[in-house]
Amino acid sequence: MKHLLRTLSLLSLILWTGCGDGDTASGAEAWVWNLPDTVPPPRVPEDNPMSLAKVELGRFLFYDTKLSGNQTQSCGSCHLQELAFTDGLARAEGSTGEIHPRSSMSLANAGYAASLTWANPAVVRLEEQALVPMFGEDPVELGLANMEDELLRRLREDERYPPMFAAAFPNQGDPISLDSITKSIASFQRALTSFNSKHDQGSSALTLSEQRGKALFFGGTTEAGVPDALECFHCHGGFLLSQAVDHDGSEFNQQTFINNGLYNLDSDGSYPEGNEGLFDITNDPADKGKFKPPSLRNVAVTAPYMHDGSIATLEEVVEHYARGGRLIESGPNAGDGFENPNKSAFLNGFEITEQEKQDLIAFLRTLTDEDLLTNPALSDPFAP
Amino acid sequence: MKRLGMVMALGALALGCGDDGNAPAEQQDVALSFAAVVGEEPFVCGDTYENLGANGTPLVLSDFRFYVQDVALKNAAGAWVPVELEENSFQSSGVALLDFEDGCGELGTPELNGIVRGTVPPGDYDGLQFKMGVPFEINHVNSATAPSPLNLTSLFWNWQGGYKFLRIDSGQFSETDWRMHLGSTGCEGDPMAGGVTSCANGNRTEVELDTFDVSANTVVADFAALVEGSAVDQDAAADAGCMSKPVDTDCGPLFANLGLSFGENPGGEQQFFSAE
Ligand code: HEC
Ligand code: HEC
Repeated sequence: MKHLLRTLSLLSLILWTGCGDGDTASGAEAWVWNLPDTVPPPRVPEDNPMSLAKVELGRFLFYDTKLSGNQTQSCGSCHLQELAFTDGLARAEGSTGEIHPRSSMSLANAGYAASLTWANPAVVRLEEQALVPMFGEDPVELGLANMEDELLRRLREDERYPPMFAAAFPNQGDPISLDSITKSIASFQRALTSFNSKHDQGSSALTLSEQRGKALFFGGTTEAGVPDALECFHCHGGFLLSQAVDHDGSEFNQQTFINNGLYNLDSDGSYPEGNEGLFDITNDPADKGKFKPPSLRNVAVTAPYMHDGSIATLEEVVEHYARGGRLIESGPNAGDGFENPNKSAFLNGFEITEQEKQDLIAFLRTLTDEDLLTNPALSDPFAP
Repeated sequence: MKRLGMVMALGALALGCGDDGNAPAEQQDVALSFAAVVGEEPFVCGDTYENLGANGTPLVLSDFRFYVQDVALKNAAGAWVPVELEENSFQSSGVALLDFEDGCGELGTPELNGIVRGTVPPGDYDGLQFKMGVPFEINHVNSATAPSPLNLTSLFWNWQGGYKFLRIDSGQFSETDWRMHLGSTGCEGDPMAGGVTSCANGNRTEVELDTFDVSANTVVADFAALVEGSAVDQDAAADAGCMSKPVDTDCGPLFANLGLSFGENPGGEQQFFSAE
């Protein structure tokens, strides 16, 4: 494996030099997107073209605990490959033990996000998003604020890194910089494409139950006789299985934020304080509870669900949508999400039989891409 | 990193050509003094200050830094003339960092800066204008490549892109310590534009000191005036202190003292800065 990777980065080096003076455009040619015909390549910023060497460096940095202040955590601590780069926790725990208000998100196809994180229209580039877990103080994740020099020192002193940075950023006198760190990690994340699930092989590859579930998901008529009763695809449609998609050919900003009726604490439709989605950014009460509809690719392995991990299983997710919102009968979060004034008009509940529920879940399980979960080229290079 | 190196090299070259930086010969140097105080006392990193805010609370202050932009002086004709800021490790792209913490807190640096340096056309000036902030055009570009002082990660404001215009901390950085971090909020981005396209709340405090003698006066930033009327011992919403989140009602009196609008309050005259 190690050997293969070395060959790969060597190969990219050869390509780089082969194309002249190793300018950035020739580096981009060295990278080949391995995508089905139905999927466009992600948008790649002009100042950060893809290259094998950069992706490989990004992989090491992504998994290296040197990237946390106290060297206990890496990006990979909260984004585990076998869980489609989530962490299995309801709410993430940072390197200093601080509990994040939100649940770690899958990074599968992160390069296609119209906006990054659960509800922030301002964050649109992976390069910049990486600075949040690294240097953020509210909450502390990797806890690197004010430690940029220390971080660069750690990387310079690790004999592995200087040649890797030099290969990924040729023609730079001192390639070990914050900028090259975020660019490599972003490139690694753009490489986390995931379109090799059973679902991608077409309906004929699916069992009858999975096919029935797929039909229901994409607007089919339920046994109760209601067409498009479930409406899932309106928000979780397209190749990403999320409307909030961006790619190479996008001409419009498709950022989407929706309230799906998880909470309703008062007549304003409040969610628990400090975690009210788009409202936390805009302060517009109509934005309370609005979050990005996440891609449902690999959803079978990304439990628990929703922005705060408050739904444990796919069964309960389906029940949530069937009811058209969650009823919390008592406690600090009591309220009926069905009545939330900001809830999407698509979510009115539906009648679903036990068999239909199982069919729908069977379909959701076809969205798992085993390649993504096991591909050694995406795995933790420091794993024992 | 590379750019910082270049800026420093340029600085060294300019030094070699005389002591008026790289400005044209007819420009006149200005050095504007800034100071940080807490009521009657000077700010000393790590000191305890009594009797602060609405409930007379003591706080140990461990950070006190802010950026200024759009610095201008009033000439004899009463017109505002922009100060061309020098490029140095505390200044770049027309922005200066005033830094009064000496690294007593975990997130600080030993270097201090209380002076904004630049040049203006020759003449007499008797008034000072500036904003506390970083201009929008600079605020939302890649902070990983920005030159000093825009490359200090403890002043990054990544959840909205940009920088913390003002950072004042108390204690040693636990979640319950009072802190104020001011920056733009309500920002929108566009994946095609590749970044932030607008922010609903710029949150740049505008300061106008109508009589200001550059050689004799100092701009004083007073923490006691900032927290006047604010219950710094309480945490009514969101974070302890104020991280500028529109939902954090603790920000109300602090924003009012900075002359910034917040929620229903339209904002007005700032109280934080004065001339002395
Ligand atoms: C402490 C756990 C933790 C660590 C460490 C962490 N993340 Fe995350 N990640 C999260 C959480 C929680 C979210 C959701 C944040 C939010 O909505 O505010 C997230 C969201 C993301 C997203 C947005 C995905 C999307 O589809 O919108 C990306 C990209 C990301 N993280 C990348 C990284 C990178 C790169 C690193 C390392 C530099 C990293 N993360 C380190 C917990 C973590
Ligand atoms: C009107 C838009 C909309 C429709 C229709 C919709 N969803 Fe969602 N979905 C969302 C949003 C928004 C979220 C995130 C909400 C949050 O975390 O607060 C979400 C979250 C989820 C999640 C959690 C994913 C994760 O990674 O945590 C699953 C699973 C899910 N939806 C499945 C479905 C299914 C199945 C249907 C059809 C029965 C459906 N959704 C219909 C908008 C929608």
